[in-house]
Amino acid sequence: MQTIDARGAFCPGPLMELIAALKLSTIGDQIEILSTDKGSVADVPEWVAKVGHKMVGVTEKGDHWSIVVEKAK
Amino acid sequence: MAAAPLFILLCSGEHEKIQMAAMLASVAAVSDRPVRVFVSMNAILAFEKGKSASERYHGGEFSRLIKENKVPDAIELFGQGKMLGDMTMHACSMVMDLKKWELDHLADGLFDGMLGLTKFLADAEDGELMTL
Repeated sequence: MQTIDARGAFCPGPLMELIAALKLSTIGDQIEILSTDKGSVADVPEWVAKVGHKMVGVTEKGDHWSIVVEKAK
Repeated sequence: MAAAPLFILLCSGEHEKIQMAAMLASVAAVSDRPVRVFVSMNAILAFEKGKSASERYHGGEFSRLIKENKVPDAIELFGQGKMLGDMTMHACSMVMDLKKWELDHLADGLFDGMLGLTKFLADAEDGELMTL
């Protein structure tokens, strides 16, 4: 699983980094993004649902969140 | 059903409004929504090729905070929106005429051409128009 460390980046940086990585991946790949941006916790799942990918999970890890998305299309 | 296109009329030279326009445009574009951006008046000055961030962006409290923190640069956000989604940007032909500028005066890779306000407004009848 590819991990993108977007800690310290503000909105919409983590989302844009995730999207760029998804574009380069293949269907079934999972990508983890690490973010300190509170908005990402709601924004990423919202975007994933809208465009048709799959949310694997959101986990709080102390001072940041781990958000895992699977490319579905 | 496909989302209605988002039309953004960006005419303020204020950093905070340019940043908001870039955020709206890029997030909408990557969310499968067509985005059409029309840049006019003082906003066009921020897109002049070769400027540093301090020359490009002028504003208030949030301009300072954006510059001091790891906030995505507005010009880069517009570029990401174009690269990852269905987004076009046009420079207002009137302000370009007034400045005696051609498209090569503007930041590389962003603008699809020049456009008149009448055409932009006519196109915007098919979507949602936001002005900043």
